[in-house]
Amino acid sequence: MGKKDTNVRMSLQTLRILEIFLENPTVQLAGADVHQRCGIASGTLYPILLRLESAGWFVSQWESIDPSSEGRPRRRLYRLTSAGLRRASEVFASFNRGVPA
Amino acid sequence: MSQRNQQSTQPELDGMTHWLIHHAARRAPESLSSRLEEEWLADLGSRPSPLSRLRLAVGCCWAAMVIVSEYQRSRVPAASPVAAARGYITLADRHFDYLSLRSGTLFLIIGLHAALFCGLITTLSHAHELAAPPNLQNHVLAPVPTT
Repeated sequence: MGKKDTNVRMSLQTLRILEIFLENPTVQLAGADVHQRCGIASGTLYPILLRLESAGWFVSQWESIDPSSEGRPRRRLYRLTSAGLRRASEVFASFNRGVPA
Repeated sequence: MSQRNQQSTQPELDGMTHWLIHHAARRAPESLSSRLEEEWLADLGSRPSPLSRLRLAVGCCWAAMVIVSEYQRSRVPAASPVAAARGYITLADRHFDYLSLRSGTLFLIIGLHAALFCGLITTLSHAHELAAPPNLQNHVLAPVPTT
C-alpha cells in the first residue's frame, strides 16, 4: 500500500477489537477468535484487522501447525506490536481523560 | 423429514459458502487475494452451523469490497494535522467521500423502500377503486317533475 500510514480510524468496532487485544497484549488471535469474543460481523472485522496491520499496530502470521496432522487449515493469527500497544493505550487513556472542549 | 431436508441442503449451502469466499477473495487486491482466501476458509471451520458459515461468507464479500475501496485510496486520509500528529483519527475527524460505499448502499436501500412503498400505494389505491360498491358512485338523477 505504498508508504506506511500509522493513522487508524477509531470507530467503536475498532475500539472493541483493540480492547480485546489489550486484555492480554501478548495474545495471538485469529479473526474467528475475535468474532467469538466481541461478535463483530466478518464484513466489518477483517477490514479493521487489515487496517490495523497496515498501520503497524498489529502483525500477523500463519499458525505454525501441520494442517494434515491437525485436521484443519492453519489460521492467520494477529497480535499487537509494541507500537500498537502504546498507541492503543494512548487512545484509551485519551478517552478516559475526556475530550477537551 | 425436516432433518432429511436439512441434511440434503447442507452440502449445497457449504458449496455456496465456499464459492462466495473464493469470489470475495478474487475481488480483493491481488497481493492479498490468496492470503485472505486461506484465512477466511480457515476461519470458516470455526463456525458450527451452515447458516453461520454462510453469514461469514457474505460478510467476506462485503469485507472484500471495503478492502478494495480502501486499497484504491491507498492510504487513510489524515483529516487534520492534529489527527496526524496524535496517530489516530476519531469519528469526528473522518473524511467522508462524496458517495462512499456505505452511503451508496444506504441510498440504494432507501430507494428500494421508496419504490416498494410507491408500488404498494399505487396497487392498493387501484384495488380500492375497483372494489368501490356501485351505491357509492355518482349518479345523475333525473329531474323531479313538478306539478
